[in-house]
Amino acid sequence: MAVFGEREARILVLGLDNAGKTTILYRLQVGEVVSTIPTIGFNVETVTYKNIKFQVWDLGGQTSIRPYWRCYYPNTQAIIYVVDSSDTERIGTSAEEFHAIMDEEELRDALILVYANKQDLPGALDDAAVAEGLNLHSIKNRDWAIFKTSAIKGEGLFEGLDWLSNQLKTRKR
Amino acid sequence: MYCSAGSPHPGCFTNFKGVCGMFSLLYGLWEYVWRKEELRILILGLDKAGKTSLLEKFKELCTGSPGLEPASIVPTVGLNVGRVEAHHAQLLFWDLGGQAGLRSIWDKYFADSHALIFVVDSTRPARFEEARGALFRALSSRELYGAPVLMLANKQDAPDAQPPAAVQQMLGLDELKVPLRVQEASAMTGEGLRDGLQWLVTEIRRSDRASLLRQRL
Repeated sequence: MAVFGEREARILVLGLDNAGKTTILYRLQVGEVVSTIPTIGFNVETVTYKNIKFQVWDLGGQTSIRPYWRCYYPNTQAIIYVVDSSDTERIGTSAEEFHAIMDEEELRDALILVYANKQDLPGALDDAAVAEGLNLHSIKNRDWAIFKTSAIKGEGLFEGLDWLSNQLKTRKR
Repeated sequence: MYCSAGSPHPGCFTNFKGVCGMFSLLYGLWEYVWRKEELRILILGLDKAGKTSLLEKFKELCTGSPGLEPASIVPTVGLNVGRVEAHHAQLLFWDLGGQAGLRSIWDKYFADSHALIFVVDSTRPARFEEARGALFRALSSRELYGAPVLMLANKQDAPDAQPPAAVQQMLGLDELKVPLRVQEASAMTGEGLRDGLQWLVTEIRRSDRASLLRQRL
């Protein structure tokens, strides 16, 4: 725990490949859209927002490397789960991965923030539809929130972090 | 008879097992008798009605440690879970976001809820009709059958708040055939929350909904 009330939180950004995780990470960190390539491994950056120092881990989302996500689970306070809202074909796959994460004992107390990303694309599902697609309502014993985001336009990302920082502040030190 | 663990004496060993068995039996009985029942309470209402502020105030009243300041609360777009112990029960609150687009999620929590708290912003009569629609739509669901409803006429600390009687009348609550109480309330001052919760827990215990939910599990 840092001095002067500044808190630290370890956040994992997860989701299928091409959901926009890396773009989100750098949008949060430098406020710009950077050109990205598919992540093999991880990117980690520190984002300070609302007096909280978020250590954000962006893990590669391709099928073959998803099994390695669990190596990063210990001591995680929150999961940002990113969904490509325009990829309606893979929402089922995304839901499966999501619920596998929900079942992880090590993440039992982690907050769940969902970004319904790529809202700028035509035909993108809205927040209610993504919530439905992910079966978010089957979560009944912990807090969750969903935000419509566009990493390209920079919309919705900080609203999500507002929620996250609020939740983290209510938790016991 | 006292025996050290791992004693080679066969008589002692069975005796030890017997004591263990007896202990776990008694412990199970003890747990069964003293286990606190979990009562699940769903908090619904339009956006900006003050649901999350009320949840924070409930938590504060039941635990004694201060909750979030209403000013720092952001609109809920999902679920806030609150757990408190009160009235000899384990209360689990589900506070769901009230924005129009997300109200479709409400239904998914009906079947597991023992009771409903519906929150109305008493200072906004212009939205009473919309609130009425949302409430009646929820209560038309079979999944909420028999659930008692605590209606919180919130924001009574504001000078322009409509009194509970007016809220009751303007929302047409007399038509409802469920156990109902309209309570004047304020998430700022905590007014009415203790009384309201006390009533709700008593009603849950009185209703057959608790046994209904138990059978389903």
